[in-house]
Amino acid sequence: MSKCTIAALLLVAFGSAQAQNKPAPPPAWQQGRPASMADSKLAPHAGKNTETPASEIPIDKLKLPKGFKAEIWATGIPGGRAMARGDKGKIYVGTRIIGRVYEVTDHGDKRTARVLVDKLTQPAGVAFQDGSLYVMAIDKVLRYDGIEGNPNAQPVDLTKAFNLPPQQHHNWKYITFGPDKKLYVPFGGPCNICEPPPEYSQIRRYNPDGSGMEVIARGMRNSLGFDWHPKTGEFWFVDQGRDWMGDKGPQEELNRLSKHGQFFGFPYCHNNDIADPDFKKAKPCEGVTKPVALLGPHASALGTKFYSGDMFPAEYKNTLFVARKGSWNRTKKFGYDVVNVRVSADGKSAKVTPFLTGFLDAKEEKFWGRPAYLLQMPDGALLVSDEQLGAIYRISYSGGKKK
Amino acid sequence: MPARPYAGRRAALLAALLFSGAAAAQPTERCAPCHGPDGNSATPGIPSIAAQPKVFIENLLILVREGLRGSEAMKQVMKGMSDREIVALAAHYAKLPARAAAGKADPAMLERGRKAAARYRCGSCHLPDFRGREQIPRLAGQREEYLYDIMHSFRDAPPPGSDTLMSAALYGVSDADIRAMAHFLARR
Repeated sequence: MSKCTIAALLLVAFGSAQAQNKPAPPPAWQQGRPASMADSKLAPHAGKNTETPASEIPIDKLKLPKGFKAEIWATGIPGGRAMARGDKGKIYVGTRIIGRVYEVTDHGDKRTARVLVDKLTQPAGVAFQDGSLYVMAIDKVLRYDGIEGNPNAQPVDLTKAFNLPPQQHHNWKYITFGPDKKLYVPFGGPCNICEPPPEYSQIRRYNPDGSGMEVIARGMRNSLGFDWHPKTGEFWFVDQGRDWMGDKGPQEELNRLSKHGQFFGFPYCHNNDIADPDFKKAKPCEGVTKPVALLGPHASALGTKFYSGDMFPAEYKNTLFVARKGSWNRTKKFGYDVVNVRVSADGKSAKVTPFLTGFLDAKEEKFWGRPAYLLQMPDGALLVSDEQLGAIYRISYSGGKKK
Repeated sequence: MPARPYAGRRAALLAALLFSGAAAAQPTERCAPCHGPDGNSATPGIPSIAAQPKVFIENLLILVREGLRGSEAMKQVMKGMSDREIVALAAHYAKLPARAAAGKADPAMLERGRKAAARYRCGSCHLPDFRGREQIPRLAGQREEYLYDIMHSFRDAPPPGSDTLMSAALYGVSDADIRAMAHFLARR
């Protein structure tokens, strides 16, 4: 594995005619596979592009701490991932392969979904601010003004202003607006493990119109969840660890950005001082900002939200929830849950506790759902999207007072 | 030789067969004219769909219906088909046996294909007997010229809606190796 992999990947993007004369790099998800794992049959799990009716969702299998309840809130949104809530209560949901963005309307007793836009290349990023919906695909940025009131609103194409780089792998997005009203956008390393070109492995923020781009953090592999601490306003984010280093990790990280421009280690240094076996350099972990918490090996940490609502017991206030979609690059499946992280505002003494479980049957090594993203509702309930079954679940707390 | 020698012929064939397909009452009747009554295609350029993994068929057909993948003719066939119909079609064809109908093998090409498939680790995801699994298609017994076309397409012009994996897997693989792998896989 070398820098030529990156050059090679860039050549693919431009369809170079000379491509056939270059040695073949391994597929992005196989890069870094050691000889000992050459015959491994681990491969990413299949997604599901078809609708799953509520009657086929085993919601009763979900487990929560006492007093909490899970219910099916919306179905019929295949591939649904990140959710953004409009000012008037509509929920917008991004997807990857199926290329759609959904709009979910709450009618009180039930929810309906429609396809707002389709045929996009992995429009995973959705964000809402000042009456406008922002949609970010790998190669496109669209803004829908007044979409909640006008279902036929035509998008404004902002693609040029955002100047997105060409690589696709790990460049589907999670986007959200910060307290500064700027749009935060991750650009993952376009590989399992590589020395990325300069425009990747970073998190940027932009003005809503795409101007004023700043790189705020560097050295991440694939960061697809972040939020701001409710008390300090600091930016916290998860980052997914590399594959093909065995069942133990490196683990997913929870990181805290205490100063703009900090470097988080990819590809040389993982977790707490694990040097990368493929990309070596002297003192690989020098100058690297260490994670606040480790979130488990290959767990696919995605949705990341501080809880600021009043519905859950007071002990949950200002704690963090992280959805872990679940592993593929591991002989025993891991994750497939939502965890609660209690941690001090300066990132000390983090404690990770399972919160929502039951998607995985560890004995049978089978899963039925994959929790991906989280959204706190105005009443304090927590919505959890299930990318596998194209559904949204609502987690509420009544303390056992009422059902 | 053009990169995808059968592509034009396939489009013409599909267009010719489209009318009868779209008017059919049963979803399988839409498939049979091109893909064969039992899902084993006798038509050059048209893939066999028998014994393909159910999830693979489902996911691909949804992407075709969404207009992201497939020929124009296939997009027309899929227009308006519901998820439920697609799931039923996938279940139907996944259960039908594959009947390889490849012609006489060229021993040298077969051996080159066997070695190339091992070198590029096709069996890692497609499984060692190439029967596929879940979202990963069956390659064993697929039509040779179709395998050749689709591998070319992944290598040189990956279609929208495709995962990035197959393009990366075939990056830099020579035409001769693709031809040999198609020859070999069609005869598994």
